[in-house]
Amino acid sequence: MTPRLSITDVSYRAGTTAILDGVSLDAGAGELIALMGRNGAGKSTLLDIVAGLRPATGGAVALDGEPLDRLDNAERARRIGHLPQAVRADVPFSAWELVMMGRYPHADRWFESKADRAAVEIAMQRTGCAAFRDRPVSTLSGGERQRVLLAACLAQEPRLLLLDEPSTFLDVDQQLHCFSLLREETRRGATCVAVTHDLNLALTFATRLVVLAERRVALDVTPGAAFEAPEWLRLFSSRLRLCDDGAGGRWVSFA
Amino acid sequence: MSHPAAPRAWLVGSAVAFVAGAVFFPLVGPMPLDLGAVLAHREPEWSILWQLRVSRTLLGLFAGGALSLAGSVFQAMLREALATPYTLGVSTSASLGAVIVIALGGHTVLGVPAVWMGALAGAAAVLFLVLGSAARPGRMSAFGLLLIGIATNSVCSAAILLIHGFAGLSQSFSIARWLLGSIDAIGYGALVPFVVLVAGIALWILRHARHWNLLAVGEDWASARGTPVSRLLLGGYVAGSALAASTVALTGPIGFVGLIVPHLARSRVGADHRLLMPCAFLMGGVLLAGGDAIGRSVLAPAEIPAGALMALIGGPYLVWLVRRRG
Repeated sequence: MTPRLSITDVSYRAGTTAILDGVSLDAGAGELIALMGRNGAGKSTLLDIVAGLRPATGGAVALDGEPLDRLDNAERARRIGHLPQAVRADVPFSAWELVMMGRYPHADRWFESKADRAAVEIAMQRTGCAAFRDRPVSTLSGGERQRVLLAACLAQEPRLLLLDEPSTFLDVDQQLHCFSLLREETRRGATCVAVTHDLNLALTFATRLVVLAERRVALDVTPGAAFEAPEWLRLFSSRLRLCDDGAGGRWVSFA
Repeated sequence: MSHPAAPRAWLVGSAVAFVAGAVFFPLVGPMPLDLGAVLAHREPEWSILWQLRVSRTLLGLFAGGALSLAGSVFQAMLREALATPYTLGVSTSASLGAVIVIALGGHTVLGVPAVWMGALAGAAAVLFLVLGSAARPGRMSAFGLLLIGIATNSVCSAAILLIHGFAGLSQSFSIARWLLGSIDAIGYGALVPFVVLVAGIALWILRHARHWNLLAVGEDWASARGTPVSRLLLGGYVAGSALAASTVALTGPIGFVGLIVPHLARSRVGADHRLLMPCAFLMGGVLLAGGDAIGRSVLAPAEIPAGALMALIGGPYLVWLVRRRG
Protein backbone atom coordinates (compact mmCIF):
# COMPACT_ATOMS: atom_id res chain seq x y z
CA MET A 1 0.00 0.00 0.00
CA THR A 2 1.34 3.44 -0.83
CA PRO A 3 1.86 5.55 2.28
CA ARG A 4 -0.11 8.76 2.75
CA LEU A 5 3.09 10.77 2.86
CA SER A 6 6.36 9.65 1.42
CA ILE A 7 9.51 11.76 1.83
CA THR A 8 12.44 10.31 -0.10
CA ASP A 9 16.02 11.52 0.23
CA VAL A 10 15.01 15.18 0.56
CA SER A 11 17.74 17.81 0.74
CA TYR A 12 17.56 21.54 1.18
CA ARG A 13 20.31 24.08 0.85
CA ALA A 14 20.01 27.76 1.75
CA GLY A 15 22.78 29.31 -0.32
CA THR A 16 25.84 27.20 0.49
CA THR A 17 24.50 25.98 3.85
CA ALA A 18 22.96 22.52 3.86
CA ILE A 19 19.88 22.46 6.10
CA LEU A 20 18.58 19.00 5.23
CA ASP A 21 20.60 16.24 3.62
CA GLY A 22 18.98 12.97 2.64
CA VAL A 23 15.86 12.97 4.82
CA SER A 24 13.53 10.04 4.22
CA LEU A 25 10.28 9.42 6.07
CA ASP A 26 7.01 7.63 5.36
CA ALA A 27 3.78 8.32 7.21
CA GLY A 28 0.52 6.44 6.98
CA ALA A 29 -3.09 7.23 7.78
CA GLY A 30 -3.77 7.45 11.51
CA GLU A 31 -0.24 8.43 12.48
CA LEU A 32 0.57 11.41 14.68
CA ILE A 33 4.25 12.11 14.22
CA ALA A 34 6.03 14.42 16.65
CA LEU A 35 8.79 16.06 14.63
CA MET A 36 11.49 17.20 17.01
CA GLY A 37 15.04 18.45 17.10
CA ARG A 38 17.09 21.31 18.41
CA ASN A 39 16.80 24.87 17.13
CA GLY A 40 17.86 25.10 13.53
CA ALA A 41 17.61 21.34 12.96
CA GLY A 42 15.43 21.95 9.89
CA LYS A 43 12.03 20.96 11.31
CA SER A 44 10.14 23.94 9.90
CA THR A 45 12.04 23.69 6.63
CA LEU A 46 10.98 20.07 6.23
CA LEU A 47 7.38 20.98 7.04
CA ASP A 48 7.46 23.83 4.50
CA ILE A 49 8.80 21.51 1.82
CA VAL A 50 6.08 18.94 2.46
CA ALA A 51 3.48 21.72 2.48
CA GLY A 52 4.71 22.86 -0.93
CA LEU A 53 5.71 26.29 0.39
CA ARG A 54 9.28 25.95 -0.80
CA PRO A 55 10.86 23.51 -3.23
CA ALA A 56 13.40 20.99 -1.99
CA THR A 57 16.79 21.23 -3.65
CA GLY A 58 16.90 17.45 -3.92
CA GLY A 59 14.76 14.37 -3.36
CA ALA A 60 11.04 13.81 -3.72
CA VAL A 61 7.83 14.20 -1.75
CA ALA A 62 4.73 12.21 -2.67
CA LEU A 63 1.20 12.31 -1.33
CA ASP A 64 -0.78 9.06 -1.73
CA GLY A 65 1.77 8.09 -4.35
CA GLU A 66 1.40 11.32 -6.34
CA PRO A 67 4.44 13.61 -6.60
CA LEU A 68 3.75 16.83 -4.70
CA ASP A 69 4.82 19.06 -7.58
CA ARG A 70 2.22 17.46 -9.84
CA LEU A 71 -0.65 18.78 -7.70
CA ASP A 72 -1.92 22.25 -8.53
CA ASN A 73 -2.23 24.77 -5.71
CA ALA A 74 -5.94 24.25 -5.09
CA GLU A 75 -5.68 20.45 -5.06
CA ARG A 76 -2.68 20.62 -2.75
CA ALA A 77 -4.64 22.89 -0.39
CA ARG A 78 -7.55 20.45 -0.29
CA ARG A 79 -5.24 17.64 0.78
CA ILE A 80 -2.61 19.32 2.93
CA GLY A 81 -3.17 21.74 5.80
CA HIS A 82 -0.33 23.81 7.23
CA LEU A 83 -0.37 25.58 10.58
CA PRO A 84 2.30 28.29 10.53
CA GLN A 85 4.37 29.20 13.58
CA ALA A 86 2.62 32.55 13.57
CA VAL A 87 0.79 35.00 11.36
CA ARG A 88 1.35 38.73 11.44
CA ALA A 89 -0.08 40.29 14.59
CA ASP A 90 -2.14 42.95 12.79
CA VAL A 91 -4.20 40.66 10.58
CA PRO A 92 -7.23 42.77 9.59
CA PHE A 93 -9.75 39.91 9.81
CA SER A 94 -12.06 38.61 12.53
CA ALA A 95 -11.47 35.16 14.00
CA TRP A 96 -14.45 33.84 12.04
CA GLU A 97 -13.13 35.23 8.75
CA LEU A 98 -9.69 33.73 9.35
CA VAL A 99 -11.10 30.28 10.10
CA MET A 100 -13.33 30.56 7.03
CA MET A 101 -10.19 30.85 4.90
CA GLY A 102 -9.73 27.14 5.57
CA ARG A 103 -12.80 26.59 3.41
CA TYR A 104 -11.52 28.57 0.41
CA PRO A 105 -9.90 25.55 -1.28
CA HIS A 106 -13.23 23.72 -1.13
CA ALA A 107 -15.59 26.53 -2.11
CA ASP A 108 -16.36 27.23 -5.73
CA ARG A 109 -18.90 29.98 -5.12
CA TRP A 110 -18.45 33.68 -4.45
CA PHE A 111 -19.50 33.39 -0.81
CA GLU A 112 -19.25 30.21 1.25
CA SER A 113 -22.14 27.77 1.51
CA LYS A 114 -24.10 26.72 4.54
CA ALA A 115 -21.96 23.58 4.76
CA ASP A 116 -18.80 25.71 4.82
CA ARG A 117 -20.22 27.83 7.64
CA ALA A 118 -21.14 24.68 9.55
CA ALA A 119 -17.59 23.33 9.17
CA VAL A 120 -16.20 26.62 10.49
CA GLU A 121 -18.63 26.57 13.38
CA ILE A 122 -17.62 23.03 14.37
CA ALA A 123 -13.90 23.77 14.08
CA MET A 124 -14.26 26.84 16.31
CA GLN A 125 -16.29 24.88 18.87
CA ARG A 126 -13.68 22.11 18.99
CA THR A 127 -10.81 24.53 19.57
CA GLY A 128 -12.77 26.69 22.01
CA CYS A 129 -12.78 29.76 19.77
CA ALA A 130 -16.53 30.30 19.68
CA ALA A 131 -16.42 32.86 22.50
CA PHE A 132 -14.34 35.27 20.43
CA ARG A 133 -15.49 34.36 16.94
CA ASP A 134 -16.36 37.94 15.93
CA ARG A 135 -13.37 39.66 17.51
CA PRO A 136 -10.59 41.00 15.32
CA VAL A 137 -7.65 38.59 15.37
CA SER A 138 -5.39 41.53 16.18
CA THR A 139 -7.06 41.92 19.60
CA LEU A 140 -6.68 38.27 20.63
CA SER A 141 -4.04 36.96 23.01
CA GLY A 142 -1.26 34.75 21.66
CA GLY A 143 -2.95 31.58 22.86
CA GLU A 144 -6.36 32.57 21.52
CA ARG A 145 -4.79 33.40 18.17
CA GLN A 146 -3.05 30.02 18.12
CA ARG A 147 -6.40 28.27 18.63
CA VAL A 148 -7.91 30.29 15.78
CA LEU A 149 -5.11 29.15 13.48
CA LEU A 150 -5.67 25.54 14.54
CA ALA A 151 -9.40 25.95 13.87
CA ALA A 152 -8.59 27.25 10.38
CA CYS A 153 -6.54 24.11 9.72
CA LEU A 154 -9.27 21.80 11.04
CA ALA A 155 -11.92 23.57 8.93
CA GLN A 156 -9.76 22.86 5.88
CA GLU A 157 -10.32 19.12 6.51
CA PRO A 158 -7.04 17.97 5.00
CA ARG A 159 -5.80 14.38 4.92
CA LEU A 160 -2.35 15.52 5.89
CA LEU A 161 -2.07 18.08 8.67
CA LEU A 162 1.31 19.78 9.14
CA LEU A 163 1.61 21.80 12.32
CA ASP A 164 4.55 24.02 13.17
CA GLU A 165 4.60 24.20 16.96
CA PRO A 166 0.83 24.02 17.49
CA SER A 167 1.11 24.28 21.28
CA THR A 168 3.07 27.56 21.35
CA PHE A 169 1.45 30.22 23.55
CA LEU A 170 -1.10 27.71 24.87
CA ASP A 171 -1.66 27.17 28.60
CA VAL A 172 -1.08 23.63 29.86
CA ASP A 173 -4.71 22.61 29.64
CA GLN A 174 -4.97 23.95 26.09
CA GLN A 175 -1.74 22.17 25.12
CA LEU A 176 -3.28 18.89 26.20
CA HIS A 177 -6.52 19.77 24.44
CA CYS A 178 -4.64 20.67 21.25
CA PHE A 179 -2.83 17.34 21.08
CA SER A 180 -6.03 15.47 21.99
CA LEU A 181 -7.65 17.11 18.98
CA LEU A 182 -4.78 15.98 16.77
CA ARG A 183 -5.23 12.42 18.05
CA GLU A 184 -8.93 12.67 17.23
CA GLU A 185 -8.07 13.75 13.71
CA THR A 186 -5.72 10.82 13.24
CA ARG A 187 -8.33 8.38 14.55
CA ARG A 188 -10.63 9.71 11.84
CA GLY A 189 -8.00 8.76 9.28
CA ALA A 190 -5.90 11.90 8.95
CA THR A 191 -2.12 11.99 9.17
CA CYS A 192 -0.56 14.60 11.44
CA VAL A 193 3.02 15.81 11.60
CA ALA A 194 3.49 18.23 14.49
CA VAL A 195 6.71 20.06 15.27
CA THR A 196 7.10 20.38 19.02
CA HIS A 197 9.75 21.03 21.64
CA ASP A 198 7.66 19.48 24.39
CA LEU A 199 9.01 15.96 24.89
CA ASN A 200 6.30 14.99 27.36
CA LEU A 201 3.49 16.03 25.02
CA ALA A 202 5.20 14.07 22.26
CA LEU A 203 5.67 10.94 24.41
CA THR A 204 2.07 11.15 25.61
CA PHE A 205 0.20 11.76 22.39
CA ALA A 206 2.36 10.91 19.37
CA THR A 207 2.32 7.53 17.70
CA ARG A 208 5.85 8.13 16.45
CA LEU A 209 8.77 10.31 17.45
CA VAL A 210 11.03 11.62 14.69
CA VAL A 211 14.10 13.61 15.68
CA LEU A 212 16.12 15.63 13.18
CA ALA A 213 19.81 16.14 13.94
CA GLU A 214 22.85 16.70 11.77
CA ARG A 215 20.60 17.50 8.80
CA ARG A 216 18.96 14.06 8.76
CA VAL A 217 16.60 11.77 10.65
CA ALA A 218 18.50 10.77 13.78
CA LEU A 219 15.67 8.89 15.48
CA ASP A 220 12.40 7.37 14.30
CA VAL A 221 10.71 5.27 17.00
CA THR A 222 7.44 4.68 18.81
CA PRO A 223 7.00 6.23 22.28
CA GLY A 224 7.18 2.73 23.77
CA ALA A 225 10.56 2.08 22.23
CA ALA A 226 11.70 5.54 23.26
CA PHE A 227 11.04 4.65 26.91
CA GLU A 228 12.98 1.39 26.61
CA ALA A 229 16.16 3.03 25.33
CA PRO A 230 16.40 6.63 26.59
CA GLU A 231 19.86 7.38 25.12
CA TRP A 232 18.14 9.51 22.44
CA LEU A 233 17.50 12.20 25.07
CA ARG A 234 21.11 13.27 24.55
CA LEU A 235 20.05 14.55 21.13
CA PHE A 236 18.34 17.36 23.04
CA SER A 237 20.37 17.88 26.19
CA SER A 238 22.67 15.98 28.53
CA ARG A 239 20.53 17.10 31.47
CA LEU A 240 17.41 15.01 30.73
CA ARG A 241 16.30 11.87 32.54
CA LEU A 242 13.35 9.52 32.09
CA CYS A 243 11.33 9.05 35.27
CA ASP A 244 8.88 6.30 36.13
CA ASP A 245 6.51 6.48 39.10
CA GLY A 246 5.90 2.75 38.98
CA ALA A 247 2.18 3.23 38.35
CA GLY A 248 2.41 3.71 34.59
CA GLY A 249 3.25 7.42 34.73
CA ARG A 250 6.46 8.20 32.86
CA TRP A 251 7.91 11.53 31.95
CA VAL A 252 11.05 13.40 31.01
CA SER A 253 12.53 15.46 33.80
CA PHE A 254 15.47 17.84 34.11
CA ALA A 255 18.58 16.90 36.01
CA MET B 1 -22.53 36.10 11.84
CA SER B 2 -20.42 35.50 8.79
CA HIS B 3 -21.36 38.60 6.85
CA PRO B 4 -23.32 41.00 8.96
CA ALA B 5 -25.92 43.09 7.27
CA ALA B 6 -24.06 46.39 7.63
CA PRO B 7 -21.22 45.67 5.15
CA ARG B 8 -23.65 44.50 2.50
CA ALA B 9 -25.76 47.58 3.11
CA TRP B 10 -22.65 49.68 2.51
CA LEU B 11 -22.05 47.87 -0.77
CA VAL B 12 -25.61 48.47 -1.93
CA GLY B 13 -25.46 52.05 -0.69
CA SER B 14 -22.25 52.86 -2.52
CA ALA B 15 -23.61 51.27 -5.71
CA VAL B 16 -26.69 53.47 -5.47
CA ALA B 17 -24.49 56.51 -4.81
CA PHE B 18 -22.35 55.66 -7.85
CA VAL B 19 -25.35 55.50 -10.17
CA ALA B 20 -26.95 58.55 -8.59
CA GLY B 21 -23.67 60.42 -9.02
CA ALA B 22 -23.55 59.52 -12.68
CA VAL B 23 -27.05 60.97 -13.10
CA PHE B 24 -26.92 64.04 -10.87
CA PHE B 25 -23.29 65.26 -10.80
CA PRO B 26 -23.54 66.41 -14.47
CA LEU B 27 -26.26 68.83 -13.37
CA VAL B 28 -23.81 70.53 -11.00
CA GLY B 29 -21.55 73.24 -12.35
CA PRO B 30 -20.84 76.93 -12.73
CA MET B 31 -23.76 77.29 -15.11
CA PRO B 32 -27.06 75.90 -13.84
CA LEU B 33 -28.74 73.82 -16.52
CA ASP B 34 -32.37 74.28 -17.42
CA LEU B 35 -33.70 70.73 -17.50
CA GLY B 36 -36.38 71.63 -20.00
CA ALA B 37 -33.76 72.99 -22.40
CA VAL B 38 -31.66 69.86 -21.99
CA LEU B 39 -34.59 67.53 -22.60
CA ALA B 40 -35.46 69.49 -25.73
CA HIS B 41 -31.86 69.01 -26.92
CA ARG B 42 -31.48 72.81 -27.15
CA GLU B 43 -28.01 74.32 -27.51
CA PRO B 44 -25.86 75.16 -25.70
CA GLU B 45 -27.41 73.28 -22.76
CA TRP B 46 -27.35 69.92 -24.52
CA SER B 47 -23.68 70.19 -25.50
CA ILE B 48 -22.64 71.46 -22.08
CA LEU B 49 -24.34 68.53 -20.43
CA TRP B 50 -23.37 65.80 -22.87
CA GLN B 51 -19.96 66.92 -24.13
CA LEU B 52 -18.63 68.56 -20.98
CA ARG B 53 -20.38 67.50 -17.81
CA VAL B 54 -21.32 63.87 -18.48
CA SER B 55 -17.91 62.91 -19.84
CA ARG B 56 -16.23 64.73 -16.98
CA THR B 57 -18.41 62.99 -14.40
CA LEU B 58 -17.78 59.57 -15.91
CA LEU B 59 -14.04 60.26 -15.97
CA GLY B 60 -14.21 61.23 -12.30
CA LEU B 61 -16.22 58.14 -11.35
CA PHE B 62 -13.94 55.69 -13.12
CA ALA B 63 -10.69 57.48 -12.29
CA GLY B 64 -11.61 57.55 -8.59
CA GLY B 65 -12.66 53.92 -8.75
CA ALA B 66 -9.46 52.89 -10.53
CA LEU B 67 -7.21 54.68 -8.03
CA SER B 68 -9.04 53.25 -5.00
CA LEU B 69 -9.00 49.74 -6.40
CA ALA B 70 -5.30 50.01 -7.22
CA GLY B 71 -4.69 51.10 -3.62
CA SER B 72 -6.74 48.17 -2.29
CA VAL B 73 -4.79 45.66 -4.37
CA PHE B 74 -1.43 47.05 -3.33
CA GLN B 75 -2.44 47.17 0.33
CA ALA B 76 -3.61 43.56 0.26
CA MET B 77 -0.57 42.29 -1.63
CA LEU B 78 2.02 44.09 0.44
CA ARG B 79 0.14 43.87 3.77
CA GLU B 80 1.11 47.48 4.20
CA ALA B 81 -1.36 50.23 4.99
CA LEU B 82 0.76 52.80 3.19
CA ALA B 83 1.06 50.89 -0.08
CA THR B 84 -0.51 52.96 -2.85
CA PRO B 85 0.23 53.73 -6.49
CA TYR B 86 2.31 56.59 -5.06
CA THR B 87 4.47 54.76 -2.55
CA LEU B 88 5.20 52.12 -5.18
CA GLY B 89 6.48 54.75 -7.60
CA VAL B 90 3.87 54.16 -10.33
CA SER B 91 2.11 57.51 -10.19
CA THR B 92 5.29 59.56 -9.89
CA SER B 93 6.97 57.81 -12.78
CA ALA B 94 3.85 58.32 -14.89
CA SER B 95 3.96 61.99 -13.93
CA LEU B 96 7.61 62.23 -14.95
CA GLY B 97 6.76 60.79 -18.35
CA ALA B 98 3.99 63.35 -18.80
CA VAL B 99 6.15 66.25 -17.59
CA ILE B 100 8.91 65.35 -20.05
CA VAL B 101 6.38 65.45 -22.88
CA ILE B 102 4.98 68.81 -21.75
CA ALA B 103 8.49 70.27 -21.46
CA LEU B 104 9.28 69.08 -24.98
CA GLY B 105 6.10 70.78 -26.17
CA GLY B 106 4.56 67.59 -27.53
CA HIS B 107 0.92 67.77 -28.56
CA THR B 108 -0.54 64.74 -30.23
CA VAL B 109 0.83 61.52 -31.62
CA LEU B 110 -1.48 59.65 -34.00
CA GLY B 111 -4.40 61.64 -32.60
CA VAL B 112 -3.64 60.74 -28.99
CA PRO B 113 -2.44 63.53 -26.71
CA ALA B 114 1.29 63.06 -26.24
CA VAL B 115 0.99 63.67 -22.49
CA TRP B 116 -0.99 60.44 -22.12
CA MET B 117 1.63 58.52 -24.04
CA GLY B 118 4.31 60.03 -21.85
CA ALA B 119 2.51 59.05 -18.64
CA LEU B 120 1.96 55.48 -19.76
CA ALA B 121 5.52 55.16 -21.01
CA GLY B 122 6.89 56.50 -17.73
CA ALA B 123 4.87 54.01 -15.66
CA ALA B 124 5.74 51.15 -18.00
CA ALA B 125 9.45 51.92 -17.80
CA VAL B 126 9.41 51.78 -14.02
CA LEU B 127 7.19 48.70 -14.04
CA PHE B 128 9.77 46.80 -16.10
CA LEU B 129 12.59 48.14 -13.96
CA VAL B 130 10.86 47.11 -10.74
CA LEU B 131 9.82 43.70 -11.99
CA GLY B 132 13.28 43.12 -13.40
CA SER B 133 15.02 43.84 -10.12
CA ALA B 134 12.41 42.51 -7.70
CA ALA B 135 11.59 39.31 -9.54
CA ARG B 136 13.63 36.44 -8.23
CA PRO B 137 13.34 32.85 -9.35
CA GLY B 138 11.12 31.97 -6.40
CA ARG B 139 8.89 34.87 -5.57
CA MET B 140 8.80 38.63 -5.33
CA SER B 141 9.40 40.24 -1.98
CA ALA B 142 6.75 42.77 -0.99
CA PHE B 143 9.26 44.66 1.08
CA GLY B 144 11.62 44.92 -1.88
CA LEU B 145 8.87 46.35 -4.07
CA LEU B 146 8.14 49.04 -1.50
CA LEU B 147 11.80 50.02 -1.19
CA ILE B 148 12.22 50.17 -4.94
CA GLY B 149 9.06 52.31 -5.09
CA ILE B 150 10.52 54.76 -2.60
CA ALA B 151 13.78 54.97 -4.57
CA THR B 152 11.82 55.48 -7.79
CA ASN B 153 9.83 58.29 -6.19
CA SER B 154 12.85 60.25 -5.07
CA VAL B 155 14.53 59.99 -8.48
CA CYS B 156 11.37 60.87 -10.42
CA SER B 157 10.44 63.74 -8.10
CA ALA B 158 13.92 65.22 -8.44
CA ALA B 159 13.77 64.87 -12.22
CA ILE B 160 10.36 66.57 -12.29
CA LEU B 161 11.71 69.47 -10.20
CA LEU B 162 14.71 69.85 -12.49
CA ILE B 163 12.65 69.78 -15.69
CA HIS B 164 10.15 72.17 -14.16
CA GLY B 165 12.97 74.53 -13.19
CA PHE B 166 14.64 74.53 -16.59
CA ALA B 167 11.45 74.65 -18.68
CA GLY B 168 10.33 77.84 -20.40
CA LEU B 169 7.68 80.04 -18.86
CA SER B 170 4.64 78.66 -20.67
CA GLN B 171 5.78 75.05 -20.33
CA SER B 172 6.52 75.66 -16.68
CA PHE B 173 2.97 76.90 -16.18
CA SER B 174 1.52 73.88 -18.00
CA ILE B 175 3.63 71.55 -15.88
CA ALA B 176 2.53 73.18 -12.63
CA ARG B 177 -1.09 73.01 -13.74
CA TRP B 178 -0.80 69.37 -14.77
CA LEU B 179 0.91 68.38 -11.53
CA LEU B 180 -2.09 69.65 -9.54
CA GLY B 181 -4.18 66.82 -10.97
CA SER B 182 -7.63 67.55 -12.26
CA ILE B 183 -10.69 66.02 -13.86
CA ASP B 184 -11.44 67.73 -17.15
CA ALA B 185 -13.96 67.16 -19.88
CA ILE B 186 -12.54 64.70 -22.38
CA GLY B 187 -13.82 63.35 -25.65
CA TYR B 188 -15.70 60.08 -25.73
CA GLY B 189 -13.05 58.74 -28.07
CA ALA B 190 -10.66 58.70 -25.11
CA LEU B 191 -13.21 58.08 -22.37
CA VAL B 192 -14.67 54.86 -23.75
CA PRO B 193 -11.35 52.99 -24.08
CA PHE B 194 -10.42 54.19 -20.57
CA VAL B 195 -13.69 52.93 -19.07
CA VAL B 196 -13.40 49.60 -20.87
CA LEU B 197 -9.80 49.17 -19.71
CA VAL B 198 -10.62 50.04 -16.09
CA ALA B 199 -13.69 47.79 -16.05
CA GLY B 200 -11.74 44.87 -17.49
CA ILE B 201 -8.88 45.16 -15.03
CA ALA B 202 -11.31 45.70 -12.15
CA LEU B 203 -13.15 42.49 -13.01
CA TRP B 204 -9.88 40.53 -13.09
CA ILE B 205 -8.97 41.92 -9.67
CA LEU B 206 -12.40 41.22 -8.18
CA ARG B 207 -12.41 37.68 -9.50
CA HIS B 208 -9.41 36.97 -7.27
CA ALA B 209 -10.88 38.59 -4.15
CA ARG B 210 -10.44 35.45 -2.06
CA HIS B 211 -6.77 35.30 -2.99
CA TRP B 212 -6.31 38.92 -1.86
CA ASN B 213 -7.88 37.93 1.47
CA LEU B 214 -5.33 35.14 1.87
CA LEU B 215 -2.42 37.31 0.76
CA ALA B 216 -3.47 39.96 3.27
CA VAL B 217 -2.63 37.40 5.98
CA GLY B 218 0.63 36.16 4.49
CA GLU B 219 2.25 34.60 1.43
CA ASP B 220 2.75 31.17 3.00
CA TRP B 221 -0.74 31.31 4.45
CA ALA B 222 -2.07 31.99 0.95
CA SER B 223 0.04 29.35 -0.74
CA ALA B 224 -1.06 26.70 1.75
CA ARG B 225 -4.68 27.58 0.95
CA GLY B 226 -4.48 27.32 -2.80
CA THR B 227 -3.20 30.69 -4.03
CA PRO B 228 -0.64 30.65 -6.84
CA VAL B 229 1.31 33.32 -4.98
CA SER B 230 3.96 34.41 -7.50
CA ARG B 231 1.43 34.63 -10.33
CA LEU B 232 -1.04 36.63 -8.23
CA LEU B 233 1.62 39.05 -6.96
CA LEU B 234 2.87 39.66 -10.49
CA GLY B 235 -0.67 40.00 -11.85
CA GLY B 236 -1.77 42.28 -9.04
CA TYR B 237 1.25 44.49 -9.45
CA VAL B 238 0.75 44.86 -13.18
CA ALA B 239 -3.02 45.36 -12.81
CA GLY B 240 -2.69 47.97 -10.08
CA SER B 241 -0.01 49.80 -12.02
CA ALA B 242 -2.08 49.76 -15.21
CA LEU B 243 -5.08 51.19 -13.36
CA ALA B 244 -3.01 53.94 -11.77
CA ALA B 245 -0.99 54.82 -14.86
CA SER B 246 -3.94 55.03 -17.24
CA THR B 247 -5.73 57.24 -14.70
CA VAL B 248 -2.75 59.52 -14.15
CA ALA B 249 -2.46 59.79 -17.93
CA LEU B 250 -5.96 61.30 -18.13
CA THR B 251 -6.11 63.31 -14.90
CA GLY B 252 -2.59 64.07 -13.72
CA PRO B 253 -1.49 62.90 -10.32
CA ILE B 254 -4.45 62.59 -7.92
CA GLY B 255 -2.94 60.91 -4.93
CA PHE B 256 -5.05 60.73 -1.88
CA VAL B 257 -7.95 58.77 -3.30
CA GLY B 258 -5.86 55.60 -3.56
CA LEU B 259 -4.77 55.93 0.05
CA ILE B 260 -7.86 57.15 1.86
CA VAL B 261 -10.71 55.33 0.20
CA PRO B 262 -9.41 51.80 0.87
CA HIS B 263 -8.96 52.79 4.54
CA LEU B 264 -12.40 54.38 4.67
CA ALA B 265 -14.01 51.36 3.03
CA ARG B 266 -12.21 48.92 5.33
CA SER B 267 -13.37 50.79 8.42
CA ARG B 268 -16.97 50.46 7.15
CA VAL B 269 -17.22 47.03 5.52
CA GLY B 270 -14.31 45.11 7.06
CA ALA B 271 -11.36 43.45 5.38
CA ASP B 272 -13.12 40.83 3.25
CA HIS B 273 -12.02 41.88 -0.23
CA ARG B 274 -15.12 40.42 -1.84
CA LEU B 275 -17.03 43.31 -0.26
CA LEU B 276 -14.17 45.72 0.33
CA MET B 277 -12.97 45.97 -3.26
CA PRO B 278 -16.26 46.72 -5.00
CA CYS B 279 -17.05 49.14 -2.18
CA ALA B 280 -13.69 50.89 -2.52
CA PHE B 281 -14.15 51.20 -6.28
CA LEU B 282 -17.64 52.68 -6.00
CA MET B 283 -16.84 54.98 -3.06
CA GLY B 284 -13.64 56.19 -4.71
CA GLY B 285 -15.56 57.07 -7.86
CA VAL B 286 -18.26 58.94 -5.97
CA LEU B 287 -15.70 60.79 -3.86
CA LEU B 288 -13.61 61.98 -6.80
CA ALA B 289 -16.51 62.84 -9.12
CA GLY B 290 -18.36 64.50 -6.23
CA GLY B 291 -15.24 66.41 -5.19
CA ASP B 292 -14.84 67.58 -8.76
CA ALA B 293 -18.49 68.68 -8.94
CA ILE B 294 -17.93 70.76 -5.80
CA GLY B 295 -14.56 72.04 -6.98
CA ARG B 296 -15.99 73.39 -10.24
CA SER B 297 -18.94 75.07 -8.51
CA VAL B 298 -17.89 76.75 -5.28
CA LEU B 299 -15.44 79.31 -6.72
CA ALA B 300 -17.00 79.50 -10.20
CA PRO B 301 -15.88 80.55 -12.70
CA ALA B 302 -12.56 79.53 -11.11
CA GLU B 303 -12.08 75.78 -10.50
CA ILE B 304 -10.39 73.96 -7.66
CA PRO B 305 -8.55 71.02 -9.25
CA ALA B 306 -9.83 67.70 -7.91
CA GLY B 307 -6.31 66.53 -7.05
CA ALA B 308 -5.70 69.54 -4.81
CA LEU B 309 -9.17 69.24 -3.25
CA MET B 310 -8.64 65.54 -2.48
CA ALA B 311 -5.32 66.28 -0.78
CA LEU B 312 -6.84 69.18 1.21
CA ILE B 313 -9.72 67.04 2.49
CA GLY B 314 -7.92 63.71 2.56
CA GLY B 315 -4.87 64.61 4.60
CA PRO B 316 -6.76 65.82 7.68
CA TYR B 317 -9.24 62.95 7.33
CA LEU B 318 -6.43 60.40 7.39
CA VAL B 319 -4.86 61.99 10.47
CA TRP B 320 -8.27 61.94 12.17
CA LEU B 321 -8.70 58.28 11.27
CA VAL B 322 -5.29 57.35 12.65
CA ARG B 323 -5.80 59.32 15.87
CA ARG B 324 -9.23 57.84 16.47
CA ARG B 325 -7.79 54.35 16.25
CA GLY B 326 -5.06 55.32 18.70
